[in-house]
Amino acid sequence: MKIAFTAKDTDWNSPIDPRFGRTEFILIYDEEKDELSNFDNRAIEGVEHGAGPQTAQKMFDLNPDILVTGNGPGGNAARVLTQADIKIYAGAGEMTIKEAYEAFKNGKLNLV
Amino acid sequence: MKEIVVISGKGGTGKTSITASFALLGEKNVIVADCDVDAADMHLLLQPDWHFSEEFFSGVAAEIDQGKCIKCGKCANVCRFHAIPVIDKKYVINNLNCEGCGYCYQICPRDAITMVEQNVGKWFVSNIKTGSKMVHARLRSGADNSGKLVAKVKNEARKIAEKNGVGWILVDGSPGIGCPVVSSLSGADLVVLVTEPSVSGLHDLERVYELTKKFHLPSGCIINKADINPEVVGKIKTFLQKENITHLADLPYDETFTKAMTFGKTIIESGESEIKNTLQQIWKKINNLLTDEREKS
Repeated sequence: MKIAFTAKDTDWNSPIDPRFGRTEFILIYDEEKDELSNFDNRAIEGVEHGAGPQTAQKMFDLNPDILVTGNGPGGNAARVLTQADIKIYAGAGEMTIKEAYEAFKNGKLNLV
Repeated sequence: MKEIVVISGKGGTGKTSITASFALLGEKNVIVADCDVDAADMHLLLQPDWHFSEEFFSGVAAEIDQGKCIKCGKCANVCRFHAIPVIDKKYVINNLNCEGCGYCYQICPRDAITMVEQNVGKWFVSNIKTGSKMVHARLRSGADNSGKLVAKVKNEARKIAEKNGVGWILVDGSPGIGCPVVSSLSGADLVVLVTEPSVSGLHDLERVYELTKKFHLPSGCIINKADINPEVVGKIKTFLQKENITHLADLPYDETFTKAMTFGKTIIESGESEIKNTLQQIWKKINNLLTDEREKS
C-alpha cells in the first residue's frame, strides 16, 4: 500500500503540514518496498488561488491509496481526490510523519 | 501552539470587534493575524506601529511594448475584460480591468506583450497595544485578497509564535466562502463563527459552515445582537444543535461597542460592563474547547 503524507520536510521526523493545498512537501511511503520518497510542493506558495485543486492534481498523479493530513482538504480538492479513489485520514496535524503513520496503523485517525 | 480562526460568512456581524476583544483578553499569549485583508480594520482597534513591512507580489497583468506593437488590435479584440483601450492611437493596458488571463499575450503576433507580476500591496509585522504582535497587510486599490496572501500572513504569525513561545494564533478570517476563507481554515485548530439574527446572517452562517465542515474542526458560535430578532435566534440555535456546534454565547445589541470603536478601543478597555464579562467567559470557553479536543485525541 502507498501512503501519502502532507509534510513540512522530507524525513520520518518531519512534522505533518496540517494544510492540504499549501503543504510544503508530499511524502509517499511505499510499504511493499519500504521506501519513503518525497515530492517538493513548495512552488504552491506562489499560487494565488486554487491551491487545493492543484495539489489534488499532484496527488492524483502520485496515486497513493491513502492520504494522511491535518485538516481539510476543502471542497474542490476533496472532489478531485474522490475521483482518484484515495482514502483521506485527517487529524494528524500535530504529529511527525512517523507518529502519523503509527496512528494510522493503529486506527487512531479519522477517515474523512 | 493553537490556531483559532474567527469567521462570519456575512459582513457586519461584529467579527472584528469580537476578535480584537479576544486579543486584549489573551494579551501576550496571542499573536493576531488579520486575514480579512480586503477591508482590513483590525488596526483601528489594536493600533499597530507598522514596525516591519515588505512588498507583496501576487498575480500578473499584461504590459505592451509600444516599440514592438503593430497596432493590429488583436489583443483588444480577444480581451473579455475590456482592459485594452486605445488612447492617443496606442493600445494600452488598463490595469484595473486586466485580470491577468494572458489571452492577449498568447495571441500577439509580435510578442509585444509580457505578463508582469504585480505588486499588490504590503504585509506588516507590528507591535500592538496588548504587548504582543500582529501580522497584517494592506492592499492597493483594486487588488484583491487571495489564498496566497492569507497563507503568508498566517505563516508569518506562526513563525513569530514559535520563536517567542506564544500559545495562540488568533486569525481574523475573511468574509464569504472563497479561496481566502479556505486558506484561513486550512491548518487551524478551532473555528469561532460570529453571526447575527438576520435572514442573511443565518443564511451565510449555514453556507460558511458547509465549508468549515470539510476541515473537521471543533466549532463554536457567538450570536451577536441576539436581542434584535428572537425568531431568527431560535432558528440559529436549532441549526447549531443539528450540526453539533457549541453555542458559546449570546451578546446583546449594545452601542457601547460602537462608542468604544470611535475612540479606537475595544469593549474590553471601556470599563466594566455586562458584555465585557460575557466576552471573558467566551474566551474561557474557547480555551476549554481546545483543551477538550486535546484530551479526546
